[in-house]
Amino acid sequence: MNRGVEIRELKKNFTLTRWTGFHRTVSEVVAVDGISMVVPQGQAVAFIGPNGAGKSTTIKMLTGILHPTSGNVSVLGFTPWRDRRRLAHCIGAVFGQRSQLWYHLPARDTFELLSRVYGLERSEFIRTRDVLIERFNLGPFMDTPVRKLSLGQRMRAEVAASLLHRPRVLFLDEPTIGLDVIARQLLRDLICEWNRNDGTTLFLTSHDAGDIEHVAQRVVVINHGHVVVDDNVAAVRRKYLGAKILRVQFHGAPRSMKLAGVTMLQESGYEWKLQIDTAIVPVRVVTAAVLDAGSVADIAVEDPPLEEVIARIYSESRREVPI
Amino acid sequence: MTIMKSANRYLWIGYTAARSNLAYGGEVIYRCSFLTIILYIFLRLWNVVYAATGSDRVGGLTLPQMVWYLVVTEAIYLSAPRVASEVDEDVRTGRLAVHLIRPLSYVGGHLSRAMGDRVVRFAINLTVGAVLAMILVGPIPISAAGIVMFFATLPAAFLLDFLGMFLIGLCAFWLESTSGLALLYTRTVMMFGGMFLPLAIYPAVLQPILKVLPFASMLSAPGVMFVNPSFLLLKESIVIQGAAVTVFLLVVAIVQFLAMRRLFSNGG
Repeated sequence: MNRGVEIRELKKNFTLTRWTGFHRTVSEVVAVDGISMVVPQGQAVAFIGPNGAGKSTTIKMLTGILHPTSGNVSVLGFTPWRDRRRLAHCIGAVFGQRSQLWYHLPARDTFELLSRVYGLERSEFIRTRDVLIERFNLGPFMDTPVRKLSLGQRMRAEVAASLLHRPRVLFLDEPTIGLDVIARQLLRDLICEWNRNDGTTLFLTSHDAGDIEHVAQRVVVINHGHVVVDDNVAAVRRKYLGAKILRVQFHGAPRSMKLAGVTMLQESGYEWKLQIDTAIVPVRVVTAAVLDAGSVADIAVEDPPLEEVIARIYSESRREVPI
Repeated sequence: MTIMKSANRYLWIGYTAARSNLAYGGEVIYRCSFLTIILYIFLRLWNVVYAATGSDRVGGLTLPQMVWYLVVTEAIYLSAPRVASEVDEDVRTGRLAVHLIRPLSYVGGHLSRAMGDRVVRFAINLTVGAVLAMILVGPIPISAAGIVMFFATLPAAFLLDFLGMFLIGLCAFWLESTSGLALLYTRTVMMFGGMFLPLAIYPAVLQPILKVLPFASMLSAPGVMFVNPSFLLLKESIVIQGAAVTVFLLVVAIVQFLAMRRLFSNGG
């Protein structure tokens, strides 16, 4: 297996110094507490967690911006904090809230500059640039100053700019933040396509469940500096889907129904939205009871949205680890 | 080849910064208008001063020389990019990560950008100022050697100012806000660098001190070299500038080392 990123027992403590008058108090805060994981080359990983969980600290250590307190990291064979500049040639980053494009100039000028910054061969740069312009459909606005672009256009150009030097690992920090539904979907598709075709390892952090669902193959949930979940997206769904959502439409007013393990989430007219705790009651028992309650026009069993799954993981890990 | 590639990337940053500076016409016009107003006000003030003293020279300069001196020092001062606030913002907002993820030196990247910005602004300021001075007081005698000497003092003047502002920006690692420091710095440069008044006008006891301070190397040295060039002065200026650049580089290196150690261990 070609290992893109290897993390072994990574720890990071921050030292906090507080002054009360002339009295100094030094305390340590554990930001990352023994994270271990291996990301094969070409995998798309969603690295998620609530605010203050240790995501950014981990990513800063993976990119060489922070030095760890202990542990080992290998990104494409480099130790990031020792080989930051050499590693920089092989990795890319997109920060959703921080632009790398020159505001008053067209994206084309930033592309030109980046080709020099990364020391790309002219022919190689032109080839990659043209492929990116075509795939990301940048042509119509490549010569328009960045300040005049819509957020969706700008983000497409941002992602394309970070791919110019064909990084083998791409860090995406909230790449779809602020985008409308269509622009978000388009950007996700483009990122996925690049991951598939170019084999770029993706390290995605996002609070948007849609990004995780569409882009990532694997989810790593981190909280209080620990990895609390590390599995593929489908397995996380299954594992944390102790609940199912049942949507029912009746032809007429149904009789009321009471069943242990069933919670009525929404009741409007002839429609019910029920949550079933499958550990208490099987779905088929609830379905039978619903069919008894009235004449059913339509019925659907759904998984809860990934957002709920993530919220549940966060709240469970919060209960497990004392704050 | 590697050195060439490395130099090329920093030159391109400068070139891109220069182009970016010209992209927004409104700002260029604003800066030119501001310079025009300032120069006109100072011309009127110096007219009064020269009339009041009844002398044709003040601080060793005639009125046209004084106006041209002012054109040069104002052109330099008003061309200063906002390095301190940019570095401060990098630290405060975490934008530093965007810089550090590139195969570039942090200070080198900022220097190239600042120089690209500055060269364009200075060229525009000097052109506008020169046109204005020609209209208001006419030309002064300028030799080719004088022009060369003037341009010889400019790179160190720009570099020194950059290092001073960069240093202030780095203080954001320890201070809540660096805007106060930046204000103090710019006003000190203005006062002790000889922006409005040539150093020859200051009290005799202060002049030798002001001459060796780095502020005079940023403004007064190129200004004097433009209106009153001499090889002796040039030699003196270059020695002082060289010493100041060495000290500033050393201080920046130490402060940046401490700042980066703080960043690497505590995240800034």
